[in-house]
Amino acid sequence: MSRINRDVIVAVILLLICGVFFTVSFGIREPDYGTLAPATWPRVILAYLTLLTLIYLAQSLRIPAGESKSKGGFRAWLASYRNPLWCYALFLAFLITLPVLGILIGGVLFVFCTLTVLGGMEGRKLLLHAAVAVIAVGVMWTIFTYALGVILPQGMIFTTL
Amino acid sequence: MILEHVFAAAGELANIKTLILMMIGVTAGLLAGAIPGFTIAMAIVLTLPFTFGMDAVQGLATMIAVFVGGLSGGLMSGILTGIPGTPSSVATTFDGFPMARNGQPGLALGIGVWSSFCGGVLSAILLMTLAPQLARIGLEFHPWDYFALVAFALTITASLAGKHLVKGLIAGALGLLVTTIGEDDINGVGRFNFGSDALLQGFDFLPVLIGLFAFSQLMHDVRNRDTARKSLTETRTVAVRIEHRKAIREILKRWTNVIRSMLIGVFTGILPGAGGSVANILAYDQAKKASKHPEKFGTGIADGIVAPETSNNATEGGALMTMMALGIPGDIVTAIMLGALLIHDVIPSPSFISDEPLLAYSIFLAFFLATFMMIGLQSFTLRIFVLVTKVRMYMLAAVILAYSAIGVFALNNIEFDLWTLFWFGILGYAMRTLGFPLAPMIIGVVLGNIAELNLARAFAITTDLSPFVTRPWSLFFITLGLFSMFFPKYQQERGKRKWTLVYPSLLAAALSVPMFMHGGIVRPVLAGILLVIAAHLLWKHYRNGWRLEGIDTPSVSITET
Repeated sequence: MSRINRDVIVAVILLLICGVFFTVSFGIREPDYGTLAPATWPRVILAYLTLLTLIYLAQSLRIPAGESKSKGGFRAWLASYRNPLWCYALFLAFLITLPVLGILIGGVLFVFCTLTVLGGMEGRKLLLHAAVAVIAVGVMWTIFTYALGVILPQGMIFTTL
Repeated sequence: MILEHVFAAAGELANIKTLILMMIGVTAGLLAGAIPGFTIAMAIVLTLPFTFGMDAVQGLATMIAVFVGGLSGGLMSGILTGIPGTPSSVATTFDGFPMARNGQPGLALGIGVWSSFCGGVLSAILLMTLAPQLARIGLEFHPWDYFALVAFALTITASLAGKHLVKGLIAGALGLLVTTIGEDDINGVGRFNFGSDALLQGFDFLPVLIGLFAFSQLMHDVRNRDTARKSLTETRTVAVRIEHRKAIREILKRWTNVIRSMLIGVFTGILPGAGGSVANILAYDQAKKASKHPEKFGTGIADGIVAPETSNNATEGGALMTMMALGIPGDIVTAIMLGALLIHDVIPSPSFISDEPLLAYSIFLAFFLATFMMIGLQSFTLRIFVLVTKVRMYMLAAVILAYSAIGVFALNNIEFDLWTLFWFGILGYAMRTLGFPLAPMIIGVVLGNIAELNLARAFAITTDLSPFVTRPWSLFFITLGLFSMFFPKYQQERGKRKWTLVYPSLLAAALSVPMFMHGGIVRPVLAGILLVIAAHLLWKHYRNGWRLEGIDTPSVSITET
């Protein structure tokens, strides 16, 4: 067990992915036409990827566990990745609410929340963040909608208004 | 004939709208390049959505303008603050910053700007003259050769991606695997869609790229809470006047350094996957080795600025050459440009220059023109740069993220692309954190379909695999690919292990075999020269008694341009 480190875990996950894709590749339809079957190329890549991952696994097993292990446990890990995790969570919320809020409202809220989470929420900062969010997203939305003629998602709120 | 195309392309570019767009592009590129943490590739990616509504010439001219600006912008922060704006200008700080601190910031900037100009213009000339010749060679390529070229592109990118060759190769393979998801281009059969209709259409190249690259880079930039809340550069930046005349005089005195660095830049650019981040270090190292006063490097001398700045701008000429003549991206930026061309239904291949001369020569000329614009706009941008450095990183990141989302949606007007951006944003960040280089994956995503298409074509001709080693070009690229896999080991152990003494000779001798196989006169003569070089190197080591000398070589690896 002492040999388990971050690289070993990554290698095992990669091997599992290869396994899943290999299994699924046997369900790919084989048409009567064409000289290169649709499953051949993906299998070549998967075989190559599996071989490389096995080499990676072997190399990783040679590394002592301590060398690539993060210190401080899960809490420390969570704290050190606080900002990216918040950003991803907010972006996910933006995507989920997109059909309802649309890009304009959703975008402004996303930028405001991201700015506040990353930059702090003191009184003056909140005003600044709100201004930046409204101006930045508003300008982008205007350019794309009117100058580039792109129809951006309006969202249910905008449509009912 | 060529002049005819050049004039037609000039006519296409010489309209107010295109020129204004190019000027905006150069200015944006200069600023993007100057901001530490904001890579040129990200600037190009973010420019892309704006080009959807433009015609192909205008769109590509704008993107080239951003790129030329970006390559030159990195020197501003490198020289004035000591923090390179982009990895392409890392070596510029070695002498640029000391020169600025020695009381000559205007001269340091001038030398940087004019060296960039020389590198850009000279490589543009080479691009215009050599790309059509390279395309002619490309016409000799058969499917086996193309497949071997793609394999070489992936191995060289992985081998230059740092000390973890295996991780680089895995990243490349993952890139290839991503392209197999969805309906295949050859038979129209769905693959790996796991029952999802959305996945059946496959991933669009650009949301994948923006997610892997821009999204993950932004997360990387804001990971540390304190750094995210700081201004882009904490060093106080003062606007200075660029000393143009004195700088030109200094550069003219160093024309050999300019030519050498330009050639290094163009050659590095031609290599698939390698770009300005490699070229600037290589050129700096070579300038130091060729100098009569190598000990003065690092103290603020002109040669130390001329070499990296000339070479990094010259790389794009080389990278565009490979992209336009062979359809293989020379670096990540040209990979994005390849995506832009595909949006406009233009597929670069050896016949691209002859089939689309107007577009091809417009790209050549835009590169040339943007280099001139860069000179004119550098002084103006310097003033804005001083203001931009006061912006805090987290503000930039949040706004760019929203902008990326809008830009990605605008690509196909489907929400699925936003989800692609999100998932690949996570994947890109995970890969960065785990030490997997992104460049091979990007190249894999770009070249995956080309590889499969050529493999299918090869199999349609014959199922025999021997053409991969009996066709000269295929053997040439396979040889290069094999040797490039050992390159990281060679870099680490050069001068320390005996096998490194024979590596260059073996490479030269191995490459002479496919060159002999070509037949004719020129290529066998070149093969003969390669053999002579191999023999000479072996003889030199034999005379020295196979003695190992600790050779100080720069570690060459790709970082995002």
